[in-house]
This record gives sequence, C-alpha cells and structure tokens, in this order.
Amino acid sequence: MTNPSSFFRKLGFRTKITLSIIAILLIFGIGLSMIMSKWVSQALLNENRMRGISNAVNLSARVVEPLLSEDLLVLKNLVDELSRTDKDVIYTFILDRSGKPLVHTFSGGFPIDLIQANALQEGEGYHLQLLSAGRELINDFAVPVLIGNARLGTVRIGMSHARVQEVVQRILWSIVLTIGIGILIVGFVSTALARTVTRKIQVLHHAAEEIIKGNLDVRTAPLLQSHCWDIVNCDQKSCPAYGDERGRCWYLVGTLCPTCADGRYEKKIESCRHCEVYRSQAGDEIQDLAEFFDVMALTLKERLLALRRTEENLKQQQRLFQTILDVTPDMVSLQGRDLRYQAVNKAFCQFAGKKETDILGKTDSEVFSGVQADENQRENRGVLEKGQTLNVEKRVDGDRWLHVIKTAVVSPEGEVSGVLGTSRDITELKNFQDRIIRSQRLESIGQLAAGIAHEINTPLGIILGYAQLSKEDVEPGTELHEGLSTIEKYARISRGIVADLLRFSRHTESIKRPLDINQILHQIVGVLEHTFSLERISIARELEESLPLVFGDQEKLEQAFVNLLNNARDAIGSDGQVRIWTTHDSSQKEVVIGVSDTGKGIPPEIRDKIFDPFFTTKGVGKGTGLGLSVTFGIVKDHGGKIDFESTCRGKDSTNKAGTTFVIRFPAYEDEPT
Amino acid sequence: MKFCYRTQTLPTPVFLLAGCMLCLLFLCSCSQDEKPVQVDLSKKAEVSVQKDSYIVTYAYLPQYSHRVSYERHNLLIEYLKRETGLPIKQIFPDTFDEHMKMVGQGKIDISFSNPVAYVKMAHRYGTNAFARIIEEDGRAEFRGQIISRRDNPAIQTLEDCKGKRWIAVDPTSAGGYMYPLGHFYDHGIRKEDFAEIDFAPGPGGKQEKVALAVYAGRYDIGSVREGTLEVVSDKIDISEIRVLATSRWYPGWLYSARKDLDPVVVDKIKKALLALRGDNAEHQKIFKAAHITGILPSSDQEYDSVRQLLEKVGVDLNS
Repeated sequence: MTNPSSFFRKLGFRTKITLSIIAILLIFGIGLSMIMSKWVSQALLNENRMRGISNAVNLSARVVEPLLSEDLLVLKNLVDELSRTDKDVIYTFILDRSGKPLVHTFSGGFPIDLIQANALQEGEGYHLQLLSAGRELINDFAVPVLIGNARLGTVRIGMSHARVQEVVQRILWSIVLTIGIGILIVGFVSTALARTVTRKIQVLHHAAEEIIKGNLDVRTAPLLQSHCWDIVNCDQKSCPAYGDERGRCWYLVGTLCPTCADGRYEKKIESCRHCEVYRSQAGDEIQDLAEFFDVMALTLKERLLALRRTEENLKQQQRLFQTILDVTPDMVSLQGRDLRYQAVNKAFCQFAGKKETDILGKTDSEVFSGVQADENQRENRGVLEKGQTLNVEKRVDGDRWLHVIKTAVVSPEGEVSGVLGTSRDITELKNFQDRIIRSQRLESIGQLAAGIAHEINTPLGIILGYAQLSKEDVEPGTELHEGLSTIEKYARISRGIVADLLRFSRHTESIKRPLDINQILHQIVGVLEHTFSLERISIARELEESLPLVFGDQEKLEQAFVNLLNNARDAIGSDGQVRIWTTHDSSQKEVVIGVSDTGKGIPPEIRDKIFDPFFTTKGVGKGTGLGLSVTFGIVKDHGGKIDFESTCRGKDSTNKAGTTFVIRFPAYEDEPT
Repeated sequence: MKFCYRTQTLPTPVFLLAGCMLCLLFLCSCSQDEKPVQVDLSKKAEVSVQKDSYIVTYAYLPQYSHRVSYERHNLLIEYLKRETGLPIKQIFPDTFDEHMKMVGQGKIDISFSNPVAYVKMAHRYGTNAFARIIEEDGRAEFRGQIISRRDNPAIQTLEDCKGKRWIAVDPTSAGGYMYPLGHFYDHGIRKEDFAEIDFAPGPGGKQEKVALAVYAGRYDIGSVREGTLEVVSDKIDISEIRVLATSRWYPGWLYSARKDLDPVVVDKIKKALLALRGDNAEHQKIFKAAHITGILPSSDQEYDSVRQLLEKVGVDLNS
C-alpha cells in the first residue's frame, strides 16, 4: 500500500504546488462556505425573526381599534393583507382575550394545535416558538394586543423557515460555484506560474546532471537582454566581462569597471549592488540561483582543471620517482611505524623474490625468512626508537654483501613516521677488494719468492754442478755415487721449485707469439687423456671453432692449463668428468677458456687462499702448493684474468658439486701494418 | 545515477490554518439549535365568535380613537361593573352616525356622547340624559375652537376664513363642528362661504385627525373641541397652531340611556356614577383616566341651548 506522504514526495514540483494551492482553496472554500452558510442562515433567521416580530407587533397595534370595535371584517382584511404582502408569512391569526381565534388566514378550518403551540405569558412583549409541521419549520410569533396593561387578545404570525433555507442554499451554491471557478482560475494561474518556476528548476536539474556526468560547460542563467558595456558605454575590451554575453559581470573577478571594488565576489558585490548594470539585470531568486550555479560550475571547472594538472604533475613525478627507484640497483623500501612496507622498488622485490603486491602492507616476518626478518625488525625498531641512522655493511645469504642505510622518516610534526631503507649490493666491491688484497699479497709473496729464488738458484746451481762433477769422479754403484745422485736429484727438484717460484713471480723470460689456444688444449688433452682415463676420468672438449689467437708463451700457457687439469683430476679423485671449453667473448674481445670438474668443490673458507703459494689441500709431499699460484702468475703475465666458481656439497645450497675455472685472455689483434 | 529529491510536504502554516478553520467550523456547528414543537396543521376545526348572552353595552361617542376611548373609560366601566354587578361592556362604534344608529338599534344601552349627538338621539330614539360630566377645567360645559397654522399669512382673522377649506370633526360633533359653526353663524359666516367643508375620515380619532390635517397644511382651518390640542401635543408641535376663535360655552358631555333600557339598570348606573367622588383616591384614578373631574345628575332640558344652535345652523334632527 502506498504511503500518502511518500506518494506526495514522488509527485512533481509543479503538481505539488498546484495540488497544494487547490487543497488550500478547497479547505478554505469548504470552511468558508460552511461558516458563511451558518452565518448567513443565522443572520437570515434573525432577520426573519425580527421581521416576524415586527410584523406581529405592527399587526397587534393595528388590530387594537378593530378588535375593540369587534370589526371582524377589518381584522380579517388585516391578517389576509399581511399574509398576502409577506411571502414568508404562512399564516396569521388573532386570538381574543380568552384565547379563542377571532380571524385567521387558514382555509377549511383552524388548526387547533396552533392555539396552544405558542403560549404567551403575562407581561411578555412577544414570544417566538419554532414549530415543526411535518417537513416544514415555522417560526411562530405571538404578540399581545395591549391597551395600557390590558390585553385585548393575541396576534399570532407563522413565518416559514424554508425560505430562509432556500436563500441559504442559494448563497451556498453561489459560494461553491465561486470557489469552483476560483479553483479553476487559480489552478490555471498556479500551473502557469509553477511552469515558469519548474522550467527554471528543470534547467538547473539538467545542468546538475550534466555536471555529474562531467560536463562543466553548463549555462543555466537566461541570456542577458542588454550588456554591461552597452549600459555603461564601456569600451574596455580587455575587461573580462566585455563580450561575455551570458555571464554576469558582478561575478567576474578583475573587471575593469571604475565602480567595481577589487577582489572576489564577496568583496565586489556590495559595490555592484548600487551599479546600474546590477539593478537592471538582477533577477528573482531562481535567476540568482541559476547565476550562482553557473559561477559555481565555472569555478568548479577551473578548480578541476587545476586539480587535474596537479594530479598529472603528481603522477608524472610519481612515475619519475618510481622509475628512478626501479632503475636504481639499490634496494629501497619505506616502512611505516607499524613496520609494514609502504613502498618498495623493483630491486627490493628481486632481492626478496616476491612481487610488489605481495610485499606492500606486509611486515619483515611475512617477507623474509626467520633470521633475516628478526635482524631487520631489530634494526628497524632501533631506528624508530632512537631516530638515528643505521649504516652497516653486512653479509647475507652467505656470500652476498649489502651496504644497508636505514633512516628514520620524520613527519612535519617532528614525529618518526617510518623507516626509509636503502641496501646496496656491494658483493662485487667486496670481491674486488678481496682480489686487490690478494693480488697485493701475491705480489709481495712473489717478490719475496723471486728474491729467495734468485738467491737460492745460484747455490743450487753450484750444488748441482758440483754434485754432477763429483759423481763423474765416483764409481757408479758406490754409496758415494748414490749419495751424489740423491743430491743431484733433490737439487734438481729444488731448482724446479725455484723455477716455479720465478714463474709465479713472472721473473722468467717469456717468448710470446700469437697462439691458437684450441690447438694447445688439444695437445695437452691428448697427452693427459690416457693418464686421466686410468682414474676413469673423462675429458670433454667443447672448443669453439675460429677462436681468435692469443698472444702468449706457449710453454707457460701449457703449464697453466696442465696445472688446472691436474687440479681438476685431484679434485675428482676418480670417476668423473673434466670439461674443457673455449669461447669468444666478442663484446669484451676476449678468449674465454673454462675448465670444469665434477669434483668435491672448494670449501668456501679456503676459496680466497687457493691462489696463495704453497697453499695446498693435498697431503705432505703430494703437492707443492704452487700449481694455482703459478697458473695465476702466468695468466696475469699474459694480461688475463682468472676466476672460479665452485660449489661444495653440503656447504653451498646445492646438491651438485664441482669447480669451474675460467680464464680470460685478450684476443690477439694484428697490428696494422 | 539516480537523484533523490527530498521534498517537504505541505507546510505547517497550511495545516495550522486548516486546523483553525475546522475549529471555527466546529464552534459554528456547536451553536444550540432550538427544538421545534410539533404541530399538526391538518387537525382543523371551524371557529365561531360567540356573542355574550346578556350584557349592558356602554359606548363612548368616537370623538377620539377606540384606544383613547378604551383607555379613558375602561377603569370607569370596571368600576360600574363592580358597583352595579351588571355585565357592562364597552363597545366601539366607528363613527358618530354608527353610534347613534346603534343606540337606535338597541345595541348601545348607555351612551356617553356630546350634546349634539344626544339631541339627535333623543329626537330620533327617545334617549334620556341622566348624568353629565364636569370637564377637567372644572366646568360642566365646553367650547369649540377654530384653528389654523400660525404661519399661514392668509388667515389672520375669522373673516379670512371665508373661501377657505375647513375640516371639521363630524357633522354630529359638538365642539368639533357645531359649536364653531354656530360661532361662524354668529359672525355672519355661512357654510356656503367656505370653499369646502370636510369631515375627518374613518373610525375614531377624529379630533386628532383634524388637528393633524391643519398642522399638515392640508386644510386652511379646522375645528376641534377645546382640549384637543393638548391631546395631540405629543404628536405635533402645537405652537405651530393658532386658535383663531373659540365658541361660546355649551353644555358638556352627558350620559344617556336608550329608551327601552330597564330603569333599574339606568338607576343603578346613575347612582354608581353619581357616587364617584373626586376626593376618593380610587375615584380620582377613574376621573383622571376619563379626563373628567366629576359627574352630575342631568336632564333633557339642560340641552335646549344646543337644540337652538342646531336649529340656527339648520340641522335637520331627523337626517
């Protein structure tokens, strides 16, 4: 069932106005007609009574003489005349002093009920009694016929109520008709008025809809009949109001009118109110509303444009900032006071191994594994609590080094609102530092070894020479001969060590020429293959064809490769594979030689010592610890680089084990002739 | 996107006004309506005026209106009814002629009339005078007056009345016609000398009508009995009326009985009338109402002067 109030709410504005006015008219009309009819009927009844009393009193005065003279004809004429002249008079009769009817206007006998129907008391001037004769109501007036105090008789007049009712009905119908016509006229007028009002409201409504749809170029105010520049004879074309045919100049800022106050609407409107332009063009409240609406839309448009520009600017800056953040290899993150990530860059995501969406809003414990999460949280809390910047270098994931800077983000209110963290991967730097240190150390060791070797080489030569000379003088097979042979043998071994030391420290002569590395490797593998196979170690060759030449000393390079192969064999022990590969790094113009084994790998703790002279993991007497040192020296002598990757089962996070040494030599380029 | 406009329902003042109107209506409708008495107009009966079986009728020659006649003599009649025990009733003939005829017809038993009427009635019907009244001025006789408007320049003397329109009370009026006519005759002015002689119309109140007609200017002169101007002083400004002349004194009003009335009745009434005394408070009221100061016994001979007057002016007692 429809609620009347909600039904009324749903009606159109125009219908509401019309209905309200008609309802008011109806209420007032009905009320008025009822009140009027009541009042009129009362007034008419009173008038009827007054007339009745007047008639009766007059008659009573006129009947004194005929009553005294008992002139019934005159009396009859008098009562008949009254009934004839006054149409409201239904009957008239005269009672004598004993209450008997003398004359009356009834035909066919006198209604005897009437005699007692209106009893007049002694001393009463008149008595009015309402009588009901069937449907008809009668006002019965009784007036005594007096001479002095003596009552000669009674005059009785009956006046009809019906005629009063008829008049009231006629008046009522007139009022109803008037109100009906009034309602029609008011209905038409109010509809016409409402139409003008609602049309303007509809314009505003459509304009509001357009604004919500995004169209701010709406104009609701009517076109101006005359323009401000015409009214005040202005020719200042630079004025913003000049030429604007729809706008109202009092809303515009910066108008050049001399009577205008400077400033915005609220400042200038006071001065504008006295202006002829305002007085001639200002409209009613709805027009004011429409004009305000236009100004509002215009202002809104300007603000929105400014906002869009700002937004675009902000977005651009955000993109730029994000790009910078993403491009930077450093890991950048911003965490709030609750230590949840608010912003991270790509490097951070890569480091964490998660997508940005999986990081934002999370805490360290949700992003990182236990130890790292705990450490991060401890650091962050420290920064938040102390407000101090954390600046540390730390190793993560075993072999990665990070330079971590964590700074407290301080809000304009001076409160710490979060932690800005930047972490730079300095593993390369660290490695480089290590390599420099190692190079410096090897350089020192080399120089020391070279010095010692030089010093020892001469005595060794003398020992060997004299041992050989002495041995020539001694009978073979003798104990002395044997002894001299032993001296000679170990002197030779020592001289080999000295030679290795000299090679390590590049203190040996080199005879360099362009060499085909693949050819050298084929030769070496050819020699060693058989020996390796005894230990069921295969050698795989993946040599890139058309490899550039390398400018070097063949003997030294052979030694370097042999050393690497021997180390590989030693690392495998038995049952394994050694892979030799070459390739050309054209971008760096380098020839790359790799030797990989499936050995047990190099434990991480000794990885920075393997190139040290005399460092060996082999048992006593099984190696001099100079192999890799010599190889390192030879590679460096050729302007190359040696590096390795090794995984050690159980120590690195992999099940595979093995080591790959990679040597890079500058590719030989023919000098231009 | 949808818009929802909240709209105010009818404003409160409208409801307030409507409420006031309804209250007013309620108050209006609350006015007490009279409850009518039921009558049945169809229940009818013929009515007839019953005549009293036996009454002694008493009539005052209608020189004034019936009302004045009634007012003047009602107390006297009530007194007579009490004193004599007779069913006396005052009746009101409309004209002097009717009065005289009714006496002749036996419809009036006791007649209170002027001497002219009496002389006529005595001549025609044999009525007998048995008492006469003393006027308020203490005389048992009275006069007639000839009056005109004071501002009428054409009438300054009695002689000026010639050729004028004269209104008199009645051909049988004493003070209102016969006595002034006798006065005109005494001054050589005859009926024929007047442009016209009219008599006051209609039943009763004829003395007053004469005074009013002259005052209104409808007639040039009028004749009334002395004392009339005082009677009409509440109706007109009597200072506007000039009394041109006053007649000689003639006998005053008298009581007469019709010829066949029982002498016992006449005697009872005569005694009762003569028993009225001016020093009695009760009688004083009766006298005051009747504008008399006493009642004297009278006889027919006392009115011979009137008979002579009538003869002088040529009145035929039979017509």
